Amino acid sequence: MTRKRSAHINLNRMRKHFSPKPLAIGVASVFLAACSSDRQDAVVYNNADDCAQDNPEQRQACETAYQQALAEAERTGPKYSTQSDCESEFGSNQCRYVNNSSGSFFMPFMAGYMVSNLLSPNRYMYQPLFSSYSPYSPYRYRWMTADGLDYGDIRKRKYRVPPDAFKAKPSATRTIKRGGFGSSVRAKSSWGSKSGKSGWGG
Amino acid sequence: MFRIASAPRKGWQQKAKDFGFTFHSMYGEPYWDESAYYQFTLQQIESDLESPTEEVHQMCLQVVDEVCKSEELLERFQIPKAFWQPVADSWKNADPSLYSRLDFAYNGKLPAKLYENNADTPTSLYESGFWQWLWLQDQVDTNKVSRHSDQFNSLQEKLIERLSQIADHYQVNQIHFSSCQDTIEDRGTVQYLQDCAAESGLDAPFVFIEEIGLGESGRFTDARDHEIVSLFKLYPWEFMQREEFSEHIVGSQTNWIEPLWKSVLSNKALMPMLWKSFKNHPNLLPAYFEHELAQCEHTKIVKKPIFSREGANVSILENGKPLLTAQGPYGEEGFIYQAYSELPRFENNYTLIGSWLVNDQAAGISVREDTSPITQDMSRYLPHIILG
Repeated sequence: MTRKRSAHINLNRMRKHFSPKPLAIGVASVFLAACSSDRQDAVVYNNADDCAQDNPEQRQACETAYQQALAEAERTGPKYSTQSDCESEFGSNQCRYVNNSSGSFFMPFMAGYMVSNLLSPNRYMYQPLFSSYSPYSPYRYRWMTADGLDYGDIRKRKYRVPPDAFKAKPSATRTIKRGGFGSSVRAKSSWGSKSGKSGWGG
Repeated sequence: MFRIASAPRKGWQQKAKDFGFTFHSMYGEPYWDESAYYQFTLQQIESDLESPTEEVHQMCLQVVDEVCKSEELLERFQIPKAFWQPVADSWKNADPSLYSRLDFAYNGKLPAKLYENNADTPTSLYESGFWQWLWLQDQVDTNKVSRHSDQFNSLQEKLIERLSQIADHYQVNQIHFSSCQDTIEDRGTVQYLQDCAAESGLDAPFVFIEEIGLGESGRFTDARDHEIVSLFKLYPWEFMQREEFSEHIVGSQTNWIEPLWKSVLSNKALMPMLWKSFKNHPNLLPAYFEHELAQCEHTKIVKKPIFSREGANVSILENGKPLLTAQGPYGEEGFIYQAYSELPRFENNYTLIGSWLVNDQAAGISVREDTSPITQDMSRYLPHIILG
């Protein structure tokens, strides 16, 4: 007899010890202490020369990965509408003006790039990193990814990282304005019968 | 089809807490109610609900096709003119849909009658796909119901599969999910879909509708300035098409879930169109536009706004006089009229069946009860079983 209901549900996925909330925005840190077998070695370099000094045989890979990381940094890095907003986050003279297909804005320079697997030229991996020199930033003198993951003190260079450390980060753009959706709900919500539970689904 | 009294599971509230089901009661009123359940036979489920659901859905899609090809009809459906072409394009491109819920009046004997099609922002998804499934599992495990009991509910399985197909269709590995602030029910529904997406291996970040930004690239952005490429929105198209960001909906090139053509499918103007195209179909109620009311021979009719949620602004009229009216903020876009067909009563409750579709496949049912013949947002949700 065929069942009319789901055969199996992953109860662990469904278990919550907290009520649903939006994702926390802000500083997330990498748990570098945890060891698992699928972690790999990764090294952070400031630039291609820095990398080539460490890997003289892999000069070409160092250079290519660096250029790719720069492009990735421009696509995914934090973006600001004014130089002063950017500098208050990253420090003075740490930002540049960018004008590309996704708009014009100020963004921090890439401070370094993390690479892995340099010895196999077609399978190396890279991830751009940023750092702040601003006394007002929680990222001061720390490595961070475009989406705010904290890799710790900038003096640290060698890591054991999970494979997803090299996953491409989402594109970031400068947001011109917010709040252009949701006004109908505000207008109609005085009717929310016993409001609180009910939303705008049906 | 029976309503059977049943003892609530011991400690179910704690279990609800562990699983994040936070909206099972509100202001002291129960919403999830396991003091009884409904029992159906397999034949009732398959012949009276499952097949009609898929058939009526296909009929609805035929109407969507007709409406998308006619400016006159798009206007009658109150789609803003700027969206006529984009809606028609999204239909022509077959932009993939996720889910819908058809609401039926069904008493176990007579053909189920379609009340309305919630094709854009249906809720009570978590309670249906997961929570009532878990209830049955517990009841079987503790011998409270026969171990041969089943449930018409493959929702979760189908949602996981469908989200994965949609991601493949758009070649993405991330879908943003969104609902309005200050509503824990909507947030819970969207969290459930995020869990299903994660189960399909997708990245599923959340953003509140009110927080969505417009990026310089022309794409919408989330609260972290990340571009939104694909967006599931538990927020009706008829609102979005009339708000400040409406002019950027097309230019943003977002992969919308539900797609734009759902603004035709979820529209109550669908009901009189269905009746015109499939007159006397056993699962349809006679329905008319305002200008066709002269053709209506019924003395008792229901007046529904073209756009309305959770029974708001629905009136029951007899010989033109209102017998019962539900308050609400809707109606400025006009009304449709439907012959009155009373909901079946089980004890002192009016019972409404919600029949789910994931894409085009029937995927399960939900049963809701109300003390009023117009079911509204505080109707209670009861689990069901299939036996025999």
